[in-house]
Amino acid sequence: MSLADLSRYEFARPASLDAACRLLSDREKKGARTVLLAGGTDFMVQVSQGGAAEGPLPLVLDVSRIKELACVSFDGTTLRIGAGVSYLELQRDPVVREYAPLVARMTQDIGGPTIQGRGTLGGNLATASPAADGVAAIAAYDPVIEVKSSRGTRKIPIAVLQTGYKQTSRAADEVIVAVEFRAPAHGSAWCWRKVGTRLAQAISKVAFAGVAEVHDGRVTRVGFAMASVAATTALLPNTRELVRLTPLAQLTAAAVDAAVASDVSPQDDVRSTRDYRMHTAKAVVRGFLRDLGAPV
Amino acid sequence: MKVAFKVNGVQRHVDMAPLARLLDALRGPLGLAGAKEGCGEGECGTCAVLLDGVPVNSCLVPIGQCDGREVVSVEGLGAIGHLSPLQACMAEHGGAQCGICTPGMLIAAEALLRRNSDPTAHDVRTAIAGNLCRCTGYERIVQSILHAAYELRSSDKGAAE
Repeated sequence: MSLADLSRYEFARPASLDAACRLLSDREKKGARTVLLAGGTDFMVQVSQGGAAEGPLPLVLDVSRIKELACVSFDGTTLRIGAGVSYLELQRDPVVREYAPLVARMTQDIGGPTIQGRGTLGGNLATASPAADGVAAIAAYDPVIEVKSSRGTRKIPIAVLQTGYKQTSRAADEVIVAVEFRAPAHGSAWCWRKVGTRLAQAISKVAFAGVAEVHDGRVTRVGFAMASVAATTALLPNTRELVRLTPLAQLTAAAVDAAVASDVSPQDDVRSTRDYRMHTAKAVVRGFLRDLGAPV
Repeated sequence: MKVAFKVNGVQRHVDMAPLARLLDALRGPLGLAGAKEGCGEGECGTCAVLLDGVPVNSCLVPIGQCDGREVVSVEGLGAIGHLSPLQACMAEHGGAQCGICTPGMLIAAEALLRRNSDPTAHDVRTAIAGNLCRCTGYERIVQSILHAAYELRSSDKGAAE
């Protein structure tokens, strides 16, 4: 694809989520490809910087004005974030700042202000880059991803949504509608650490999100997630289990490091090395656990 | 696709492919060459404009998403002979050298000052974090924006008294 291809794309702006689902379903039945477009921060680059496209181009379905994708709500237990809410809107949203401060903080580290104003969680979940800061941040809350098609609605746990490098279990006729998760107890500990080449406009070498509820020296709820250390957003199951089962005062650096090492599989690439990422992954997890009182 | 939107306060129309970039609409049929194309991939910020008041990279915005919306490009901030305080401060305090980054810097700074009339140097650096400059080392840009904020506050105070 290239800049010249831009003029060849067909474009549709369904007025509602149902209309979008109907259109997707029709396309799917015909075997025709469709791309959902929200903020365009990935797609527009891919189209204008890529090589010339071969074969029929996908229909571009603009979901940026669909109201059902645009809301943030909290019912006292569950926080719901519309897939089409921009990171800038999340940064300024009083509900997000109050009940998921880690998410609000993370948004400041995405690209720069002009990217934050356009990028969305729905977009990052769909493209499924393991480097996506937004996905790592929400993954620490163990969210479900609500998707809708004319066949119905389903809620997919994040671990089930991500099936491989830039691959998801979302069907081609499904629209990502929202992310939902149970908010941790008010005032719970959280941590967001992004390690990049510079403060802005950097894709993470490693990014870490952690949330924890602590009672009497034990971690009763824990969520960890990490970007850029595996083919998908790493959910660190072994490290979570270690932290859940061990009183904070009895955690050791060696045990934490071993658990983290078993949970990630970083690679050498243009942005960093396997060794640096492994070292950093261990360091950021131990840093959060130290803040919680563990002698690590 | 026919797109009707407000550009710098004036209702405008273009007829372009829906995925054509807002940047190309501005620099082409709309005749507004202030926004520059640097990287074309959302890295450098020199194509920045305000879309409904939010700074965006116009190279990443398809024109098909602009119908009914409001765009402010650098031309909308002021004109020769009628520079905005921000533009005047950039000129006066050495915030502009080669000029390539300047339109984007001005848009980023405008977005900041609309929300925060008394920014710290750190606020300014955060606001322009998506705008690359290879001449100034940023210091004079930051100083220019801080001067503009000061002048705007002083004139607001004057107007109130």
